[in-house]
Amino acid sequence: MAAAGPSVFLLMVNGQVESAQFPEYDDLYCKYCFVYGQDWAPTAMVKETALPPAAQRGEGHGSPELGHWPSLSSSQGLEEGISQITSKSQDARRALVWNFPIDVTFKSTNPYGWPQIVLSVYGPDVFGNDVVRGYGAVHVPFSPGRHKKTIPMFVPESVSKLQKFTSWFMGRRPEYTDPKVVAQGEGREVTRVRSQGFVTLLFNVVTKDMRKLGYDTGPPDTQGVSGPSTPQGLPR
Amino acid sequence: MAEVHVIGQIMGATGFSESSLFCKWGIHTGAAWKLLSGVREGQTQVDTPQIGDMAYWSHPIDLHFATKGLQGWPRLHLQVWSQDSFGRCQLAGYGFCHVPSSPGTHQLDCPTWRPLGSWREQLARAFVGGGPQLLRGDAIYSGADRYRLHTAAGGTVHLELGLLLRHFDRYGVEC
Repeated sequence: MAAAGPSVFLLMVNGQVESAQFPEYDDLYCKYCFVYGQDWAPTAMVKETALPPAAQRGEGHGSPELGHWPSLSSSQGLEEGISQITSKSQDARRALVWNFPIDVTFKSTNPYGWPQIVLSVYGPDVFGNDVVRGYGAVHVPFSPGRHKKTIPMFVPESVSKLQKFTSWFMGRRPEYTDPKVVAQGEGREVTRVRSQGFVTLLFNVVTKDMRKLGYDTGPPDTQGVSGPSTPQGLPR
Repeated sequence: MAEVHVIGQIMGATGFSESSLFCKWGIHTGAAWKLLSGVREGQTQVDTPQIGDMAYWSHPIDLHFATKGLQGWPRLHLQVWSQDSFGRCQLAGYGFCHVPSSPGTHQLDCPTWRPLGSWREQLARAFVGGGPQLLRGDAIYSGADRYRLHTAAGGTVHLELGLLLRHFDRYGVEC
């Protein structure tokens, strides 16, 4: 068994996609998925007594691509999903709330390729077509504790005015064929985007065996807040 | 060997007078550092903000270094450019900041500057665009020869970088 110490560490993330702020759009739903490097794999719940052998990697998803948007696979935790459609509230806050759960555990041998959550927000346009309203991505925080992140959402934009009019009229806006592009740095040099909203996420992070493997993740912070402050704070 | 992971994002920029901005970034390290995984440089997308004046890039950075020494701690250097509707690019600012040296997540605000030319060049920049640029990028992050420059301030680039250190305590390094 583990004579020399663990070789694998675990990262457990739970939380929610809390709410969004899109001043110009309404009736939105979001999809999220995780993008991670080759050394990472999502895992089923680990039993307390033993680490699962390396060959048994939980169901499905042994390789790093999660290119599809299937319905929720409940046996594996909630590592991707599609939320409900939310409308702005009638009160002065005009809040868009999803309160959509996230629950996933990863195991890895190497922090390179640390998981990122990629969000895509969609909504109807004037003609009733489903168009993309924003993409965004952020790394899962790595210090254990509670974190609140507000991430900007952007859409790809075409340069020519004629193309903008045509895509508005036909309901076919520019979108990414694979939303995971949002989590990568390469290949973005040629894209023009427009940032037009924010989504607030809450994470609780727990790690196992990172310290035993020699990693120092810094002080755990319990109220890490980053990004612009949201004008509509939801009560805890 | 000790290892350092830099995991974070170039979030965006504020305070620039132009609005469609992108950023070219790179990491420079000393001779004792070796990049094991990740790309050392890149360029963000061009963002035109609809809400507020902060241009958001959310450009991920994920680097894995191995090091034999503390000298030459990684420095992130940035060039912010603006792109107009015709596709022409104009320099908006240069800046650099050291990657933080203590583990954990850090919010960084990197100030930028751009070289001023003669009064003729400044007038031309106001009307036609363009303006002086550095010939060699290493003046952004090194102090040598800076005394020759006359610069003006640009805006601020906001980054969120997380540091994960490995085996630093084995070598007695406190950070």
